[in-house]
Parts: sequence; structure tokens; C-alpha cells
Amino acid sequence: MSDLLIDVENILVNDTVQNHEEIIRKLGTLLHNNHYVKDTYTQAVLDREIIFPTGLQTTTAGFAIPHTDAEHVIKSTVAVATLDTPVIFKAMGNPEADISVTVVMMLAISDPKKVVDTLRKVISVLENEVTIEKLVKATTKLEIQSAFNEHMSNISD
Amino acid sequence: MYKVKILVVCGSGVATSMHAAFKLQQYFDEEKILVHIDGAGNNELESRAPNYDIIVSTTMVTANTDKPVFSAIALLTGIGEKELAAEVIAKVKEIMQEKGDE
Repeated sequence: MSDLLIDVENILVNDTVQNHEEIIRKLGTLLHNNHYVKDTYTQAVLDREIIFPTGLQTTTAGFAIPHTDAEHVIKSTVAVATLDTPVIFKAMGNPEADISVTVVMMLAISDPKKVVDTLRKVISVLENEVTIEKLVKATTKLEIQSAFNEHMSNISD
Repeated sequence: MYKVKILVVCGSGVATSMHAAFKLQQYFDEEKILVHIDGAGNNELESRAPNYDIIVSTTMVTANTDKPVFSAIALLTGIGEKELAAEVIAKVKEIMQEKGDE
């Protein structure tokens, strides 16, 4: 069994924010309140996003996968937000390009080696149009959680 | 036969480089080409690059290196992935040939 699970308490559905910083802060607050990360995590993610932006354009939606070093994390998980109106993240590998982001998967990884397979499956959501459509169309936290869980169980080890 | 060494790099060496390395390995398995693939964080790039033949990175490579550099973004999103894999495979074959003649 994997020890990285999507906690329904760390999900936001069709959330409304003004910019990328606000959604990172919101998800970071959830992760902190639910005891997955230390109080240094959110600022560390924001700082890292400036140096190594994480916006990724997939075939159907803009994604961002903000994350930071393991030292800020207590327990590995992934917080997820879908946005009512997209916000701009800078593109991974190209800080001059803007990505209009609808789905944010914020990774909290405490021991990369322990969760490498699960992490890989989470990132492979980006290539799966069926899962992306489910995420974008979801109207409840449970729908988002089950879209992830289905995706994870469909991908072989 | 010379085993080409590839370093897959991302910001912290935690998340995206491991996924990109896994995807790349699958292409080489399919081609039945033996390569050595490692993951690393961007801060290790400059010191480790000299020990590798090819750099594949999800971040913008700012470190000084004379090694061929490819973007790994296609391996994350799937967009243009086959084309990227073909380019890296071609480069690996080229290096194998060069090193084989030494």
C-alpha cells in the first residue's frame, strides 16, 4: 500500500482566487492545519515557485505542481485545488512563459524515496485526459478524491 | 559497448526529475539500449554534469556545461514526448558510436 494519500480535507473545488500566491497560501494553510506540513512550508513553496516555476500546459488544462524541500514536510500527501477562474503561473523550464492554470496539485513530500512510485503516478495525471476532465468537471471534494484514486489504481506499478 | 550516462535534473531533485527519468528509461527499454540514468537537483548540476554525457532538465539550465541539454517538460505533459524521446535516443546512438570508435 502506498503511504501517500489524497486527504479530502486538503481539497478545494472551483475555488476563487486572485493570483497564484493566494491559492498556494490557501492550500498551504490547509496542509498546515491538517498537520501535514510545518509552518515554514508555504513560504518555502512560494520562494521556490519564483526560482523554479511549476506551471505545465497539458493537452486539455493548465496545471501547476508547486512543491518544496522535504525538510518543511511532516507527512507526505498532495493537496488539490480546482479553480473557478484560471490564474497565471510561470511555466516550468521557461520562466518567461505564462500558463493559465485551472488545477493545482501541491505536493508535500517528506521522503521522496519512500513515495517515488506514488509520486510518479500523481504526476502522470498530467498525461491522462480522462482524469483531467474528471478533475476539471468535479463539483465536490469526493469527486476529486475519487478521480485521483481511480487514476492511481489504473496505473500499473 | 559504451553505456551512455544521462542526468535528469529538476529544481530540487524530488519530484519531476524522478518521473521524467522513469519515462525516459521506458523508451530505452523499448529500444533495448542500455543506458545509465540518474536524477539530481539543479544545485548538483554543475558538479555532476562532467560525469554524464547528456543532461535532460525540467528547469532552465543556467549552469555552465558543454554537454547536450534537452528539456524534460514533454516527459511530464506527454505533449511532444515521442519526438523528444527520439531526439535523445538519436543523441545516445551518436555518442555510443563516437565512444565505440575510441
